[in-house]
Amino acid sequence: MDLAQSTHLTKEDHAPAAQPKLLWTPTAKTGLIGWLTTVDHKKIGFLYGFFALIFFLVGGVEALLIRTQLMFPNNNVLTAQQYNTMFTMHGTTMIFLAVMPLSAAFFNFIMPLQIGARDVAFPRLNAFSLWTFVAGAIILNIGWFIPGPNHGAPDGGWFGYAPLTSKTYIPKHSIDYWVMGLQLLGVASIAASLNFIVTIINMRAPGMTMMRLPVFTWMTLITAFLLILSFPAITIALVELMMDRNFSTNFFEVSGGGMPILWQHLFWVFGHPEVYILILPAMGIVSEILPTFSRKPLYGYPIVVFSGASIGFLGFAVWSHHMFTTGMGAVATAAFSLLTMCIAVPTGVKMFNWIGTLWNGRLMMRTPMMFALGFVWMFMIGGFSGVMHSAAPADAQQQDSYFVIAHFHYVLIGGSIFALLGGIHYWFPLMFGRKVSEFWGKLSFWVIFIGFNITFFPMHFLGLNGMPRRTFTYDANMGWSTANYIATLGAFLLGIGIFIYFVVMAYTFFKGEKVGKDIWDARTLEWSLPNPPPEYNFRVIPTVHARDAWWYEKHHKEEIAKEQAALAKAEAEHGGIHMPNQSIWPFVASLGLLVVGVGATYFESDWSPGIHAKLGTVLVGGVITFIGIYFWSIEGNAGYHLHLDENGNPIEDKHAKH
Amino acid sequence: MRLNTLLLNTARWGRAALALGSLVFLAGCDFNFWRMDGHQSTITVDGPVARSQYDVFMVTVWVTIVIFVIVGAVLAYATWKFRAKSEADEHAETPPQSHGNPMVEIGLIAASIFALVIIAVPTLKAIWYTYDVPGGDTREKFDALQKKGEVYEVTATGYQWWFKFEYPTEQINGTGALVTANELVIPAGTPVRINVRTMDVIHSFWVPKLAGKVDMIPNRANHLWLQADKAGYFWGQCAEYCGDSHAVMRFRVVALEKKEFAEWLESQKLAARDVAPKVAATGAKAQFAALRSFKQNEYGFTEKFAAEKPLSSLLETWRAKQLPEKGEDADLIAKGKAAFAAKGCIGCHAVRGHGAMGVTAPDLTHVGSRTTIAGGLLENNREQLHRWIHDPGAVKPGNKMSLAYARNDYYGKPIDGIKLTAEDEAALVAYLESLK
Repeated sequence: MDLAQSTHLTKEDHAPAAQPKLLWTPTAKTGLIGWLTTVDHKKIGFLYGFFALIFFLVGGVEALLIRTQLMFPNNNVLTAQQYNTMFTMHGTTMIFLAVMPLSAAFFNFIMPLQIGARDVAFPRLNAFSLWTFVAGAIILNIGWFIPGPNHGAPDGGWFGYAPLTSKTYIPKHSIDYWVMGLQLLGVASIAASLNFIVTIINMRAPGMTMMRLPVFTWMTLITAFLLILSFPAITIALVELMMDRNFSTNFFEVSGGGMPILWQHLFWVFGHPEVYILILPAMGIVSEILPTFSRKPLYGYPIVVFSGASIGFLGFAVWSHHMFTTGMGAVATAAFSLLTMCIAVPTGVKMFNWIGTLWNGRLMMRTPMMFALGFVWMFMIGGFSGVMHSAAPADAQQQDSYFVIAHFHYVLIGGSIFALLGGIHYWFPLMFGRKVSEFWGKLSFWVIFIGFNITFFPMHFLGLNGMPRRTFTYDANMGWSTANYIATLGAFLLGIGIFIYFVVMAYTFFKGEKVGKDIWDARTLEWSLPNPPPEYNFRVIPTVHARDAWWYEKHHKEEIAKEQAALAKAEAEHGGIHMPNQSIWPFVASLGLLVVGVGATYFESDWSPGIHAKLGTVLVGGVITFIGIYFWSIEGNAGYHLHLDENGNPIEDKHAKH
Repeated sequence: MRLNTLLLNTARWGRAALALGSLVFLAGCDFNFWRMDGHQSTITVDGPVARSQYDVFMVTVWVTIVIFVIVGAVLAYATWKFRAKSEADEHAETPPQSHGNPMVEIGLIAASIFALVIIAVPTLKAIWYTYDVPGGDTREKFDALQKKGEVYEVTATGYQWWFKFEYPTEQINGTGALVTANELVIPAGTPVRINVRTMDVIHSFWVPKLAGKVDMIPNRANHLWLQADKAGYFWGQCAEYCGDSHAVMRFRVVALEKKEFAEWLESQKLAARDVAPKVAATGAKAQFAALRSFKQNEYGFTEKFAAEKPLSSLLETWRAKQLPEKGEDADLIAKGKAAFAAKGCIGCHAVRGHGAMGVTAPDLTHVGSRTTIAGGLLENNREQLHRWIHDPGAVKPGNKMSLAYARNDYYGKPIDGIKLTAEDEAALVAYLESLK
């Protein structure tokens, strides 16, 4: 009780200080202005998810084109350049524009609800992260729409190894779009991560100690730390590459004494933690789904959390296993080989604990559970092929072969995507108050599961049979034709499965069966809310008494009711629920960054008119960003207070004007 | 010992069934992918380095299969045993709300670590074994072994998109070391140290049947070693994305018994072969006008090296290539030699003894004796040579030779590229074929 009062009640200011009236405070909750100015973490989460799913479909189409080209030996669907663009953009899109923002959608939507908060710590920064992500995504893809020999979509591989990405070898602006797009995505990710960290550390409901945090929130926290620690490495690398390409510096220019190997180290110091940035949220989701649908607590919670943190730490100590073939020397190779094997221990621990969670439970075989179990199986296979790579001598044969492709699609589709798709099913009733049909949900699961395995299992054989990655064609006499043909058929089946999944989701969104609160009989706080959750989330900030807070509340109803009545009274006396004002300025700041990005990439760096147009546009964009940040600062963190009636609906408030 | 022998017979029966199935499978390809015995197999290997890597791989396979069977069985059992039989059954009773058992956790962690040690020990052994030629891990020791003829050294350099091979110990008077391209000839049964270098972007040297890959990185002096058990013909390919034509940056390795290798070295050290023209020149026939045209993107023309042929017969194909073609047209060859200089080929290519000294493109001094052209992509015969010099950009997108043929520069401004008439092409093909 004492805890509750000090941290979560903001006293209503009955005589607000005179605010400058120059600034417009948008109040629209719907319509374009409503979406552009929203600071509600749930709406922002929804938008993250919306954009992520669009890019997921784009990346999927790129994948199908890749598979179509490889269906037959010496096939002629794509040219070499088109194929190289496809695999570059497929990788970049799926990692940065699909899986990461989809995870961010869950971080935004679910995490504050799980810790009993009313929003994230910095709501406007959250909006800025979202719109900067969109700006980055636009720049990354802008090359598709600018044809001509000097432009085009990125084609240097998602890893962009120097010196291929230098102006000498790819003079097109395709690489510039890639560099600037990733930079902006990095800005968005770091801003969002700082926000999540501050939120989780500071805005937990009273009694929500760190060791009572839901595992998904724990994984959000670890992922956010990984993001802010790893993104600076690629930011440095990208700045250096940008300097090389635009201002003739020599970071990676061999002729000027540059070191291309430096790029690989910087890239993978980012790139390997990035892999865990993709998988840890998925592990968090699975660690929520399995206990709920087993109707018992997560087995070995402290060890699951600790192993997640160990994976995060070790993630920074294994980057060079992507570089076993770069001639690091026997000692470094051995060290990274052993460290990589160490990762298998905390990962294995998680696997054991998930199985322990099932043990003695009462498993509800619903669609989210199917995806979670699919995750456990597929991630196990992907983990085992990962152990095979950790043995450096074996990796010397597997590196850059289809075996690696099989491995990381097992952990990224079988792992991340399965968990994220399952997470959508799991939280859909909470987010939208509607439930997906079990039949169609399970059907899409099985089509995706079978299609996925038909696509990627044969790739193990292809890799061991010596087929290198990133090759747009192959000869008929290499023994690769059949496996490629099967993989392509599987890819189309997988595509059909994903298509069914999204059609069903879209149908459910508009027409699905309406359901009541907490349909899965779940365990964590977000399920204590009505669906869809009201703007203010919690009418009363809950007091947490146990790890599975909502489960505890359900089993101690009287005690909780008494406690909440007291808290509601206290809050009403303090002036109601404090809500932040909406703001357009984060959007303006991001818009400025988009202009900067386009200016810095589209124009040439030569004297006339190139550099003038370039600098001019960058300057205009910079001014727009500055204006956005300036007004963002002077409008201050003003807000308003909500007073609720019996049913939880806001009562019109006199003070809501300013 | 090998995974594939177990599966071989099954696969044969499967192929009979799939002969029928291939009608449905419009691909018409045979069902051999799980035998993994292709030209670039890492499973059916032919040298001690690749074998050591294969052995480590098999250790990881067996350890993970054992764990998979155990964990998978427990997972499958738990899923089946504890499932709710119906939606009504889901809430029949609440299971015990247990939180886990630390002793079980510790036991499982210990077991995982034990399994990793099983993998770690052979891994470490193989890392050191595969890193350097046994007994030759310093320059001095290596040179001492090389003097005794127990080891050999070659420098491989990657270019967009072909390989140069240099033999530092085989000096040719006045012109430096022996240089070849795209077909690496090595002594069989001898450890060969390969220094890997690059002239432009990162490439990777990979002959799967002989050794795992090592990257060719600018400003880095990498190396690997490999050894062929016996004479043979092997496939290699660049394994690091290196731009447009990465997929078609291929090469071959030919391993010869020591005596034959020495003979080959001697023949290669000779200057390019001269074919004296007859006195009465008959003039070149436009014999290529009738040749078929190739469609854009029609890559790969090495099917004659089909999978079913044993290695020895491929080696025979290679040996046959060392001899002059029958029915050479000496006049045509002389014309070709002139065209080679007149059309500017000599700016990039070297033909030792014929005045061509270019260094940025493959050395063609003995190009006629190679089994492939265009970086291991096309079979070296009349038709493919013609296809290659007729329109190199259609065979290998973006390659340097196609840029020399271009009508426009990068910014679209017209330039004066190489133009070949049908006669020029006929003469050049005859000339290149004669360079044994």
